[in-house]
Amino acid sequence: MNPMSPEGLRTFLRTYLSEKLASRGREIPQEFGDDCDLLLSGIIDSLGLLDLIMAFQEHCGCEIDFDALDPEKMTVVGPLCDFVSAQIAKG
Amino acid sequence: MRTAEKFPERPALGAQSKTLTYRELRELACRIAATVQARPEYSPTPLTAVFAYRTPTAFAGVLGSLLAGNGYVPLNRSFPLDRTRTMLERSDCHSIVVDLESLPQLQAILSGFQRPLLVVIPDLEDPGGLQEQWPMHRFVGARDLAPPQAWREPAIRDNSIAYLLFTSGSTGVPKGVVVAQRNVISFVDYMVERYQITEKDRLSQMFDMTFDLSAFDMFVAWERGAFLCCPSQKTLINPGKYIRGMQLTLWFSVPSTIAFMKQLGILKRNQYPSLRVSLFCGEPLPVSSAGAWLEAAPHSILENLYGPTELTISCTLYRWDPARSPGEAELGIVPIGYPYPGMRVLVADHNLNEVRPGDVGELLMNGPQMSLGYWQDPEKTAAAFVIPPGKTETYYRTGDRVRRPVGDAPLTHLGRIDFQVKILGHRVELGEIEAIVRNASGMDGVVAVGWPVTPSGYGGVEVFLEGPPADSDRLRKAVAAQLPEYMVPRRFHFLEQLPRNVNGKFDRKAMLQRLVKGL
Repeated sequence: MNPMSPEGLRTFLRTYLSEKLASRGREIPQEFGDDCDLLLSGIIDSLGLLDLIMAFQEHCGCEIDFDALDPEKMTVVGPLCDFVSAQIAKG
Repeated sequence: MRTAEKFPERPALGAQSKTLTYRELRELACRIAATVQARPEYSPTPLTAVFAYRTPTAFAGVLGSLLAGNGYVPLNRSFPLDRTRTMLERSDCHSIVVDLESLPQLQAILSGFQRPLLVVIPDLEDPGGLQEQWPMHRFVGARDLAPPQAWREPAIRDNSIAYLLFTSGSTGVPKGVVVAQRNVISFVDYMVERYQITEKDRLSQMFDMTFDLSAFDMFVAWERGAFLCCPSQKTLINPGKYIRGMQLTLWFSVPSTIAFMKQLGILKRNQYPSLRVSLFCGEPLPVSSAGAWLEAAPHSILENLYGPTELTISCTLYRWDPARSPGEAELGIVPIGYPYPGMRVLVADHNLNEVRPGDVGELLMNGPQMSLGYWQDPEKTAAAFVIPPGKTETYYRTGDRVRRPVGDAPLTHLGRIDFQVKILGHRVELGEIEAIVRNASGMDGVVAVGWPVTPSGYGGVEVFLEGPPADSDRLRKAVAAQLPEYMVPRRFHFLEQLPRNVNGKFDRKAMLQRLVKGL
């Protein structure tokens, strides 16, 4: 699987969040899927989101311009991964 | 109210994708106010709580409380339930305005709540079910709100309260700061003149109402008929499109937002040409952030504001000048500048004697923005509001370290003198976290430290405990039930013995060293 594909990024996100949550004594919730809102479900706060963005950028080795992403979708697993993948493809 | 009469059809508030005109906002606020006024038995204390988040009801609730002659007490559903319950209990409020989204939390708080409350729910047509469930309290829904013409202008006294705001307290219990209407009027009068606010302006509303900087957004906008633009919780994180879409003219946020937006790649050259005023407050503003912001908002002036809640929103300011300012900054942080008109500055040593120009000391201030003190806490008020030796007036001790200016140089902020730290702009008493961890763990030796260090404060909190290792997960759960997310310790470190200094006090520096070394 291409690690930069939408599926690859989902796997990356899941692993990243599992580790983050484990360090805080928590587990990734059952309902973690494409519709899961990371912010509203309490998986991450806004600080955590910034960490996540930095982790994404490190993983992809490039800067990602989030201006084009609808803020309402920015914390939702599916749209976030699809957006990042499309941005990488654009270069 | 005068503004609403002058600009009835201009937009007053944009929230939850809805726009309310001044006439609409005034009408809703008057209905809430008249409903509260109709039941004076629920105003033995001149306060009304507002339990609502970024909804039209939140803003109408604030105005409604004030129009009823009561100060407002903002509550926040992103805070833990127990903390909100404590605030509601401590405030001695007997009336509360609630939006639909906060209603489930209110119901959880009502179980076990001893004081009868007047609960105003403007978003709910008929609260009959709630009334049956909680017969002790009185519920009023949209259907039964009083008509706007029933509102009567309340008498404003010298010490009429504008708001009661809870900040972190060192004993484990949040302290309530009582800010008078005259404090806010003095502040707003200066701000609208300085920034020449008109009905054509569009102001950002980034701050939650539990953060007093939100009072700037509301009252400065509404004083002059401007449009207050309140983004959703998610838009706060990625506000670029919102700034352009709403054509904002005035921006006000914590400096961390700049770093945040930089990371998201949304601070590019001339990305926000509509902004003419950009203000930052709440934590130290790094020089690099100021430069990055102005590149993206090239038509804007930039000012750094400073002020503790106790001195009403902000009380000193500094205009950024790309040529002069880097030379005036200290430790890479933009100066906090000069006091507002009427506000006096005293930089003092630990005996509260003024230090010499150029020396470092604690900042004390007084003037028309000095608040009334802490709610029902004369002891804490007396400790923070003091008459320094040789002076006849009361000053507020800010706890901030500054350099006393030489000549007409600006004030520079050098950190805290005590154990308060800033986490994402939130003022946090490490002592409060320690008190709660002490209680939850049953251990006496507990030290909280800010960690990791960020340009504007700390990224979080870690806690050292003296004793045998215990279950961190359980402890964290117990603590998280009582503290907002940003105050919950990221890690617990159990040590047989905590490092101490020569005076036998816990050696925070040694503990920080362990974190630096990654122990």
